[in-house]
Amino acid sequence: MQRHVKIIGASVFCPAGIGIFGLGPPEPGGVPGFDPIACGVPRKHLKTMTRAVQLGVAGVNAALASASGWEAIGPERRGLFVGASPQAGDAEDLAAALKACGGDPGKFAREGVPLIPPLWLVKGLSNNVLGYASAQHDLRGDNGNWCDGPLGGAIALAQAVHAIAEGRVDLAIAGGADSLVGAEAVVDGPCAEGAAFVVLAAGERGDSVVTAGIPTDDGLEEGFGQLGSAAVPVAWVRAWLKDRKVDVGGVRANWYS
Amino acid sequence: MRIAITAASVRCAAGDALVPPTRCWAAPDPDALALGIPGVARATCPDDPRFPDDRKGSLAAAVLSALPPPPPGARVGLYLGTGLSSLTPAELALDLYPHVVAGGFDRLAMARDLATDRPSPRRHQPHRVTEVLGATVGATVTETSFSACAAAAQSVLNAARAVHRGDVDVAYAGGHDSMLHPIGYLSFVVLGALSPSRGRPFDRHRDGFLIGEGAAILRLQREQDLGPSDTVLGWIVGGGTSVDAYNVTHPHPEGHGASLAMRRALRDAQLTPGDIDYVNAHGTGTPVGDQAECLAVASVLGDVPVSSFKGAVGHTIAAAGAVELALCLGIFGSGELPGTPGLEEVDPELRAQVLKEPRNGVARHILSNSFGFGGQNCALIVARPG
Repeated sequence: MQRHVKIIGASVFCPAGIGIFGLGPPEPGGVPGFDPIACGVPRKHLKTMTRAVQLGVAGVNAALASASGWEAIGPERRGLFVGASPQAGDAEDLAAALKACGGDPGKFAREGVPLIPPLWLVKGLSNNVLGYASAQHDLRGDNGNWCDGPLGGAIALAQAVHAIAEGRVDLAIAGGADSLVGAEAVVDGPCAEGAAFVVLAAGERGDSVVTAGIPTDDGLEEGFGQLGSAAVPVAWVRAWLKDRKVDVGGVRANWYS
Repeated sequence: MRIAITAASVRCAAGDALVPPTRCWAAPDPDALALGIPGVARATCPDDPRFPDDRKGSLAAAVLSALPPPPPGARVGLYLGTGLSSLTPAELALDLYPHVVAGGFDRLAMARDLATDRPSPRRHQPHRVTEVLGATVGATVTETSFSACAAAAQSVLNAARAVHRGDVDVAYAGGHDSMLHPIGYLSFVVLGALSPSRGRPFDRHRDGFLIGEGAAILRLQREQDLGPSDTVLGWIVGGGTSVDAYNVTHPHPEGHGASLAMRRALRDAQLTPGDIDYVNAHGTGTPVGDQAECLAVASVLGDVPVSSFKGAVGHTIAAAGAVELALCLGIFGSGELPGTPGLEEVDPELRAQVLKEPRNGVARHILSNSFGFGGQNCALIVARPG
């Protein structure tokens, strides 16, 4: 079974801005004016989300908000496909415990561990965008989370297309999120943060071309610097928002919303 | 879908044989003892110089090197599930502790240290192992799945689908993980997920899991590509994934997400519930998790024999789905369905047919479950050779 695939919604958060304001020239840095609460990220979960996860959940929210009619598709037919990076549970959460033990492992166990927030591991899970966004929007279908550096988001997009084309889901949200701002000394170069997601649905003949192949990182926009797992999705969505055509690194299709 | 498993390799606390484990394995570890963990399930594996201070990398390298190379000219993919990177005591002491300042860390100083002193940061990239090992088998496609404890199972399923579609001719697929390190222990201690004694899935007195480490990789090929010298260990005939969409750490109490994954796997394999002869459970030994899984199995498959290997091999986290699937291959042809190592008294509240001891039986189809934090679930179905 092979079905046609169309994009019915999209979101982009990048240093150039949010949504259509994010179509300006690429540059490194943070997402200006990003307010997770205003973007629908539940306040009660903020403490267990890293910045990248907040961006990712906001990206899914915005993509779904831009799509119409998706709620009519049952939760079990809604998939979510995400490219992410290791979140490495916030180091700050360990600071008090380390400070209390003076480097002594035994003392660390006795006196340090009780000072660590119990959900420290949870905050560090690399599939947190998927976990939180699926719960928020009742997305129970086929899914995946990939940590492949700049290709993570690209693989997520390709797998989402396969999932629709092969009939495993009728709606797929796919993209990536990352926040590398502050990691310049580690990754040797300018860094950025961002998130971009598309909402895919089964289309009719003529809507679109069924895509094939795994996208490569050919489509990265170098002006952002290191954008991690968000790099390819940001490039895809910016291209799509500009002229509704995507031709990025191996996946070639004309999309119609 | 009917994808041949033409080779498999595993390393875990139960050894490296493709047979279901029968014993408990727990040994003291100084770092674990310091955190009050009495024993861990450690695999035997030499350190690989390509992956310094990275047990999971060494484990993956060991299992991949035991597999036959791809046929000449084949298009190859490597699909690995992986987990949180290890952090050594040295890194804890050298990278983190010196940079504790009032109210947190001096991140800039920490980053400068990491960049100049050691190659640590890059070794923490999850896809590094996939890329390095992918080159050794000539893989033109590599994927690194991070779906917590469902990662390896999802990698195997994605690989099988890629072979089925014809994206690649040969896929090496599986997972690797080791959280036998201070940060790994710490992660589960603060969550309260580890047993203070040992792993005993489905037991009336179960109280958490035994932490393990391991890796397993399967070689997958299409049926029409098999040569006369290829041996088929089993067939991947279907799989399904789902998300609980409920809570990032707790499963749905009635196992809705798990049920959905199993139903999808059955549909994908074009099988009925009665076709499944044995379920290799995720079965970690946590009170809530085992109960939810048993409810899900009973609701989808009815009264089918169920057991878990985690009392013997520990919870190998991101590697679990591949490690346990590889061990399941030994069930075919054995004339026996495996029991649950570590289990003493089956919890009477559980509604599934839990096997405490091995029993005679023939498995034509095995369903293997993997469930992860974040609510990601994956069920795989393998059929016996022939």
